[in-house]
Amino acid sequence: MIGTMNPELKPFEELAASFAEKELAKNIEEHDRYPFGELFTDVIEKAFSVGLLGVTLPEDLGGIGQGISTLCLILERISQVDSSPSGIIFTNTLSQELMIASGSRDLLRETLSGANTAYDFLIAACSFSNPAEIQHMPVAQKRGSAYHLTGNLDYVVLGGIASHALVPAYRADRSRYSFFLVDLSDTGIEKSGAVFSLGLHACPAVDMVFDGAKARLVGEEGKGPTYFADVSKKMHIAAAAMSTGIMKGSFKEALSYSKDRFQGGCAIINWSEVSMILANMAVKLNVGELCVAQACQALEQSTHDWQHHCTAAALHVHELACDAVTDGVQVLGGNGYMKDYGQEKRFRDARQVQALLGIAPLKKISLIRDISGFEELCG
Amino acid sequence: MLTRGEVSALIQRFPKVEDTLLSLQYAPKMPKGMVQETKAAIALARKFNNEVARPLALKLDRKTHEDPDYLPWELVETANRWGFYTRWIPRMLGGWGLNMPSMSYFTEELASVCLGITNVIGVHYLGIAGITACGNLKVAKRVLSEVVEGEKTGTPCIVSLSITEPSAGTDVEETDLMDKGTVTCHAERVKGGYVFNGRKIFISMGHVSTWTVVFGYTDLKRPSETAVAAVVKTGSPGFSFGSHENKMGQRVCPASELIFEDCFVPDNLILMDAEKARKYTGKPIREVTQRYTDYVVSATRAGVGAMGAGAARGAFEHAMQYASETFISGKPLIHYEWVQCLLAEMYKNAMLARLTYIEANYANSLRGMYKILQLKPFYYYYKHVPQAYNDKVLSPLTEKDWMTSLMIRTNLDWQFQSDQNCTSGWASLAKFSGTDLGMKNCQLALELMGQTGLRQERWVEKMLRDIKLCQIYEGTNQLNRVNLFKCLIGPAHPQVRVFDEQG
Ligand SMILES: Cc1cc2nc3c(=O)[nH]c(=O)nc-3n(C[C@H](O)[C@H](O)[C@H](O)COP(=O)(O)OP(=O)(O)OC[C@H]3O[C@@H](n4cnc5c(N)ncnc54)[C@H](O)[C@@H]3O)c2cc1C
Repeated sequence: MIGTMNPELKPFEELAASFAEKELAKNIEEHDRYPFGELFTDVIEKAFSVGLLGVTLPEDLGGIGQGISTLCLILERISQVDSSPSGIIFTNTLSQELMIASGSRDLLRETLSGANTAYDFLIAACSFSNPAEIQHMPVAQKRGSAYHLTGNLDYVVLGGIASHALVPAYRADRSRYSFFLVDLSDTGIEKSGAVFSLGLHACPAVDMVFDGAKARLVGEEGKGPTYFADVSKKMHIAAAAMSTGIMKGSFKEALSYSKDRFQGGCAIINWSEVSMILANMAVKLNVGELCVAQACQALEQSTHDWQHHCTAAALHVHELACDAVTDGVQVLGGNGYMKDYGQEKRFRDARQVQALLGIAPLKKISLIRDISGFEELCG
Repeated sequence: MLTRGEVSALIQRFPKVEDTLLSLQYAPKMPKGMVQETKAAIALARKFNNEVARPLALKLDRKTHEDPDYLPWELVETANRWGFYTRWIPRMLGGWGLNMPSMSYFTEELASVCLGITNVIGVHYLGIAGITACGNLKVAKRVLSEVVEGEKTGTPCIVSLSITEPSAGTDVEETDLMDKGTVTCHAERVKGGYVFNGRKIFISMGHVSTWTVVFGYTDLKRPSETAVAAVVKTGSPGFSFGSHENKMGQRVCPASELIFEDCFVPDNLILMDAEKARKYTGKPIREVTQRYTDYVVSATRAGVGAMGAGAARGAFEHAMQYASETFISGKPLIHYEWVQCLLAEMYKNAMLARLTYIEANYANSLRGMYKILQLKPFYYYYKHVPQAYNDKVLSPLTEKDWMTSLMIRTNLDWQFQSDQNCTSGWASLAKFSGTDLGMKNCQLALELMGQTGLRQERWVEKMLRDIKLCQIYEGTNQLNRVNLFKCLIGPAHPQVRVFDEQG
């Protein structure tokens, strides 16, 4: 749908489609075995080499300088096949966007300059949380002009494969958090193995322990929540695009299976209950695509209340996707539950994606707080 | 005032009181001893959860990811040591003879911790239901004696049930569909038995079971009229295992492929076939096949409903724990009204799931598979009869021809169609309600817990992976909805047919 509304983005759609087809389609199950199998580092390198790790990053910083529609188009297209690379692209974009929103372009330029590999280009982040919800965060101490982090931080996405991480941390007064950039090759940083998670297996997270690790302040002290609020409004819709991609993959597989699988003497699509399930999936998918495309447009044109539209659309699309992929498994019966078909992975991935940028009900509370302007609302 | 006749006429109207208020009708008939026995079964499950399931479940799940070929032999040995494979076998057949509905409560407890471990235990009783439902006590005695012996010797002997085939899943659950579909497991009549050829897939615990109950068909074009049910022992010539599936969840419980290649099964291991059916009942064989299937699934689908209730409860408990230990804006999450309402909703889902399987079991107790065992005189007699008397006098009766004949007639001939509808319909209701509610709660818990819930060590993501299967096996929830319509709604609309929209 985004592609139809923006014909000029066709080359990016083709790029994403060819990446998904050539690098992902044949080895989805194998890639998803991580952390019990190998990580697809060659795929990540490929994503880097074709520019997918810097879609919205300005060209002068080494990116391809595109807008949210392109990002969504790419995430949606890739997620149709495998959403793990989308998770990597999403997380890296989130880090880049947070740094730009905080006015740290120079620091970002310095960090990315001379990046020859994906490792150099990746900046890990806690992309599955709103930092305000994190229960345990490191504390940053200032010694001279340098900061040092101490404490634990869970579920740092890409933490095991990136050169840097964007870390939220409190100053000693614990009032409002700030973002810090950490060079992960520095001393004083301990990383766990990849966390065994529900979905997006090949977009791994690690837990980290900081023990006086050197860190550089990103933006201003205590401004973390402001940067996050700015960036997340836009990134919500990117997450929603991943959900529509997953939904689309699930719908396509369900539809095609229902034509080939025979029960009761006919293709199961001929049983009206099966076609009703497929119809419900189609409704959800179409609504989802429409929501994402319209939200992108609202954002790009900065229409009135675009932030609310984007957040609301994203919340809705995630819910649609979680329902649709459940049906996607169901249409395949027992086969839908097995790893040699794509549906069980989509069932897991959709839920994982729903958790991007924080706890879903709290996102709703925050939306109504924004709409009502009533700061005292609980939660 | 209404006359008795008016009352009787009014309560016969749809929905019939006798088909819908099972608890009210069964409660006065229920032997009180069942209450204590059920409490003890729940306590036992909780002890097992503490000592075995909680410490093991996540480790085993991880292990099966590391090694997809892993089979749960040690777990089966542990369950065997705890006496779980014989507890619900009637005393006459050598088991502990706990009342059957207590198994559902036990199942719910286990399922609140790990659905995979629950099925490692529970699916054995699907196999046993497949053996006992047709009433062939002679064959039942033969197999179940080995199960009992296995408990004594510490070498587990468990039973699986093999119906599903590569080209027939939903179809083999319903005689209406079977004949239109493509079954391929052939049973050829030969002197002294049958020769089985074909493949079965997705058979829970196949690789680990000692006996499997297998269904073949002498005429693949008319399976509903030519079904042959037999028990086959692992290691029998012509019977082997293929691969086992790489599943999303319940990974500790393997789903196996079973291969029959010219596998000869002697007559004394045949549970039911058209010849036997004709001997004991004048009913059309097709009806007998459906009755047999319904008898099995009336009991086991209620059990899957209990698994759903367990998942709903487990998810609720984890969400509650998370809400208590997580602080938002300086206050525990559980302090907020929206969280309290969410937890109330989840609690409700768990309790509703439970109520549906309880009602299904009342139906089974009143009008189905457990009817005789739970009549007060029988129940107390079997409960208190001295072991020696049981072993010397009662147990040998199961080997008498007249006993088998009596049981087959009771199960397959003397049951009313209305009873079959009631038990089968309620079991379907419990199955799809319980599992849908279990799924709902896992989803709600995951949403509430955000990133924390995504981690395997926090249980909920595994529960979500596990519960999805319960919407598929024992007939998909769609098939169960149609079955509910057929059994509980359809009779009020005799002109309406099910599974006939292609015609
Ligand atoms: C892990 C696992 C363990 C299992 N354990 C066992 C076991 O121990 N023993 C055993 O015998 N079987 C077992 N099964 C098989 C299980 O019962 C079947 O998977 C189930 O009945 C569905 O059959 P199917 O997978 O062939 O799906 P299909 O029958 O192909 O169904 C595919 C889809 O079509 C729908 N559909 C099909 N026909 C109709 C219709 N007429 N009307 C409306 N919708 C229809 C279904 O609802 C489903 O959504 C197991 C399955 C799994 C996945």
